[in-house]
Parts: sequence; C-alpha cells; structure tokens
Amino acid sequence: MRREGSPARPRLEYVAATSWRGEVERALARGLRFRCAYAGGEGERSWSALFGDGHEELLLRTFASGDVPAVDSVVDLVEAADWDEREAHDLGAIEFEGRASTRPLLDHSQPSSAWAVPVAGAGVNQVAVGPVHAGIIESGHFRFHVVGERILHVDPQLFYKHRGLERAAEGMRPAAGIAIAQRACGACAVTNSVAFAQACESMLGSVVDEPTRRARTLLIELERLYNHLHDIAAICAGVGFAAGNMAFANLKERALTVNRLLSGHRFLFGSVALGGNEIVPGAPAVEEARARLSELGADIAAAWRALDFAATVQVRLTGAGVLSRERAEELGAVGPAARASGVERDARTYAPLLHYPAFRQARIDRPSGDCSARLRVRAAELATTLETLDDLLQGGVEAGSAVQRANADGAADVGAAVVEGPRGETVCVVEGDGARLRRFHLRTASYANWPALAAATAGELLPDFPLINKSFELCYACVDR
Amino acid sequence: MFVLLEQLRRARRTAALDRSGAIGSCALRHVDCGSCNACEHELTATLGPAYDLQRLGLDLVASPRHADVLLVTGPVTTRMVEPLRAAYAAMPEPRLVAALGDCPLGVGVVADRGALAGPLERILHVDIRIPGCPPTPAEITEALADALARRA
Repeated sequence: MRREGSPARPRLEYVAATSWRGEVERALARGLRFRCAYAGGEGERSWSALFGDGHEELLLRTFASGDVPAVDSVVDLVEAADWDEREAHDLGAIEFEGRASTRPLLDHSQPSSAWAVPVAGAGVNQVAVGPVHAGIIESGHFRFHVVGERILHVDPQLFYKHRGLERAAEGMRPAAGIAIAQRACGACAVTNSVAFAQACESMLGSVVDEPTRRARTLLIELERLYNHLHDIAAICAGVGFAAGNMAFANLKERALTVNRLLSGHRFLFGSVALGGNEIVPGAPAVEEARARLSELGADIAAAWRALDFAATVQVRLTGAGVLSRERAEELGAVGPAARASGVERDARTYAPLLHYPAFRQARIDRPSGDCSARLRVRAAELATTLETLDDLLQGGVEAGSAVQRANADGAADVGAAVVEGPRGETVCVVEGDGARLRRFHLRTASYANWPALAAATAGELLPDFPLINKSFELCYACVDR
Repeated sequence: MFVLLEQLRRARRTAALDRSGAIGSCALRHVDCGSCNACEHELTATLGPAYDLQRLGLDLVASPRHADVLLVTGPVTTRMVEPLRAAYAAMPEPRLVAALGDCPLGVGVVADRGALAGPLERILHVDIRIPGCPPTPAEITEALADALARRA
C-alpha cells in the first residue's frame, strides 16, 4: 500500500492480447485517466499504457502477436491515445487493429494523401505552411483544408525535430540520462528533468528530502513564471499589439535574469539532479531574487491591468479558437489550455514529491475555452506562482539529497512521474535499474495538447491561426524529442 | 496602454544601449533544425527592448529570399536537411551561414546519431560561429555585430 506523502509507484500488470481492450475499459471505469502509451525497446514487441489519478498508477502491458506485430486499438475508448498509437506504429512497427486508419505521424516518407485527413467538396483547397516559418518559430508543417478563408480542418505534421532522444538515453546510467530529458525542450527543461528524476527515483525506491522538494518546486515555478510571461507576449504579437508584446517580453527578460541569479542559467539548465538539486544560491542572492520578484510582481500586475482593459485586444480574443470543455476532456487536454475550458485539473493539487502546502488552483470567471480564457488563465496563475515563489524564497534554498526507502517496496524495474509544468501535465516513464536505463518515455503537455489545438482551429479563419496557435503556445521540441 | 508604454520607456532607460554602432545593414533568416527552443527564445529576446538588434542595422526577415545571413539552430536532424538546403538555395548571393548555439556546432548534448545529419558544417559551410547553450542575447548581438563590422 502507498504510504501518505509518498507517490504511487506504477503497478505493472501483464494483460493477454485478447483482453487488452477489456482491461483498458476497466481502468477507465475505475476513474483512472489515460496518461501515456509506449512501445518497448527494439525487438521487445511490448505495448504499455499508463493510467492513473495520482493516488494510484496502473501500467498495463501486453505483447503484440502475429507475424506482423499487432494489438487492438483503443482510440474509440480513449481518443487521447490517438497520437501514441500512431507514433508506435511509425517507430515500433506495431499495427493497431480496429482503427479506421493509422495515418502516418512520424513517418515523413509518404505523400500528403496518406497522412492528411481526406477532405473533399466544392471549393475546398489545401494550404501548406512550414516546416520553415516566417518568424522565429520552431519547425513544423501545417496542412490546412480551407474553403475561402475558413478552416475546415488542419493536420499538423510535426517531428521535423525528431532527435531520437528516448533511444539515445537507453543504455545510459539514470544519473546521466537527465541531460537528455532536459535538452528535450529548453522552455520545459525543469519540468522534464524533474519528471525524469522523479520517475528514476520511483524506480530506484528512493525519496528526496524536504530541501530538494522545495528547490524543485522553486525551479518549476520559475519556469512557469517566464513561460507564462512569454506566452502573454506571444498572444499580444498574435493580434499585432506591439506595446503589449514588447512590455511582456521585457517582463520575461527580467524573470530570466532572476533565473540566472539563482541558478547561474537563464533557462535553469543543469539545476535538477537525480536525488538532489544542483542549485544552492547564497542567502544574499536569495534575498535579492526575492526583492526583484516582488518588484516584478507589481509591474506584472500593472501591465496585466492595462492589457485587460485594452478593448481592441480583448475583442479579438473573445470567441476565437474555442475548445469546448467536452472536447478538452475527450482529447485529454492538460494545463492552462484545459483549465481555460473549465477542466479543473492541476497536478499541483496533489504533488507529495514537491512543496505545495496550501496550493489553490487559480480560477477565472468565464472559462470560455477561447483565446481570451487561455490568456486570463495564465494571468491568474502568474499571481499564484509569484506567491509560491515568495514563500519558497523566504525559507531559503538548501542542498538536498535522497534517502533509500527502508521498506519492502524497494527498487523495481519501472518508475513513473507526473509533473505540472507551464503547459500542463508532463508524464515520464523509465524502465531499467540503477546501472542502466532500458527504456525512457516522455509524454509532455504539448504532446497531449496538439490534437486539442487542431480541434480548436476547425471552423476558424485562416488568418486567426497564428493567434490560436500562440494562445496554446505548444512546444515542438519536446513533442518531437 | 499608457502603463505598457511607460514600462517600455523605463526598460529602454535601464538597458542604456549604445546607439553609435550602426555601420550598415544585414538581413537575417532563421531556420530551426532541431533545437531545444532555447536558442529561439534568446534570438527572439535580441529583438526586444533590452537588446534591440535593429539599432545595429540587423533584423530578422520573413523569407530567405530577402536574407544575407542564414541563422541555423539545432543539431540538424535528418528531417530538416532538405528544408535547410531549400532555404539556403533561395537566398541571393553573397550569403553567409551562422551556426547559432552548441548544437549546430556539433558540441551539444548527444542524441541518436541515426536521427541526425549534422553538425551543420557537414551540410553547409559555416561562416559565423556563435557558441553557447544557449548563447545569451548579448552574445548573439555581439557576434552578429562583429560579423557586420568585418564585412562593412
């Protein structure tokens, strides 16, 4: 049984291929949410899916059977597993039976007729955008099906930045693998490395002490601070509001200098370690950071009031790119994007491995699921983040360490973790032992939200896409890996 | 609006940027070849109020057809080789290639070799090297200003 204050370690259950769908259905009926699914290493033929609610984590595993490895698809039960199955199909050569189609996701060798949703009718045209974009944007391709200016459907074709990071980490020592997890994404470096560290610690049967929990929470909230400021600046850019874009870009710049003061790095690289934290800023640096954040907080509040009352901006955001609560739930959307649609879920509300003693989720008045709501959620969360940071800095930052859990559930060969990053829940699963990682899987919040972004785009005007895209502000790097 | 503009005026006073350096102009085009996105964050920051790249005659342009310098980030994934070559081919001559960050220089964190075609030097001749993980906006600004000064 799980003890209070320690996270649930995933319980691995082997399932016969014939009862795969039945077991997935049972897990969902018990109220567990789909977290991720992944194929085993080369030649393993295994297919695993993680379900959980924070208190209980269940890892179901089956083996693909037949000359061509095949498993029953579950996308009709869990729409959120669509990309996971398509990824495993392209990378692991597993066939999924019972799907209407398994369109290529990572496989770029096929013509658009294979990977884009077929759309037909009078006056339907395709607009191809990317992978190279007009601004400073990550590489990715979008195929819009439009009638006139209106978007019927969009197929994002990502994975241009696929670096094979999961495979690169396999065979490494867990402590060395953290560099790979961190470089998956610069903007989610802390989230991904904390998720990786927690997953490894769960596998190794160790628990980190209070100072490490506090330091990791501090780092996660620093990451959220600059990301939310960046996203608000990006939304302003999306409607051509230069004053807001530049003012929030400058607030973000100030947040980055605080990161550097506390960790030595503007994006907090190298600050998370397995079984501890790598940052121990002296008391003067902590005091100065606290003072700077307090000043920054006042300026953020003033800038947000000005933006909230900029009627020309607000009118462009209202009603644009609506993601309904129902679709957000079905597609497994996470983070601010889901909360803007009224899905009140935040992994920080139950995070025994971090330090959120009195966490209360920021709420907005009208979770209308549009660009306006996604902007307002971030503004509300900034206030919570600044409070958390002030509280943590007041207590100082100390070196931490991990202790081996002194009970029967010692080391296992699988571990998992869920961390609420700036864009939402990021899930990490590792398999192996203390000497070597056999498998590493990272399913970031951006991965969860790309299908939701595509859904919110349907029916909107093509020139609004940059705005809708920026209101989600998803990463490509940690999706492509 | 007034508050936002006032904050910007304050930011520009704090930055106290040197405005004497403008000696020419140079158009930059960015292509992401598999970066972690940190280089993009810092490149975007160079165009903000704290660094103001445009004061030096440097600016990012929307198309490689308008560009003098191709700024490449990332270790160059196999999937980005063709788009990278296409962007380079679309540039008018004379043209320069800049490697932005440790990844295109081949000294970044390792990935699966099978997924990478880089470092950049294997694909295009590199004229400007801007190391760092990521290089700071100040370092990017300095490296580009130096390159412009050398050619002016």
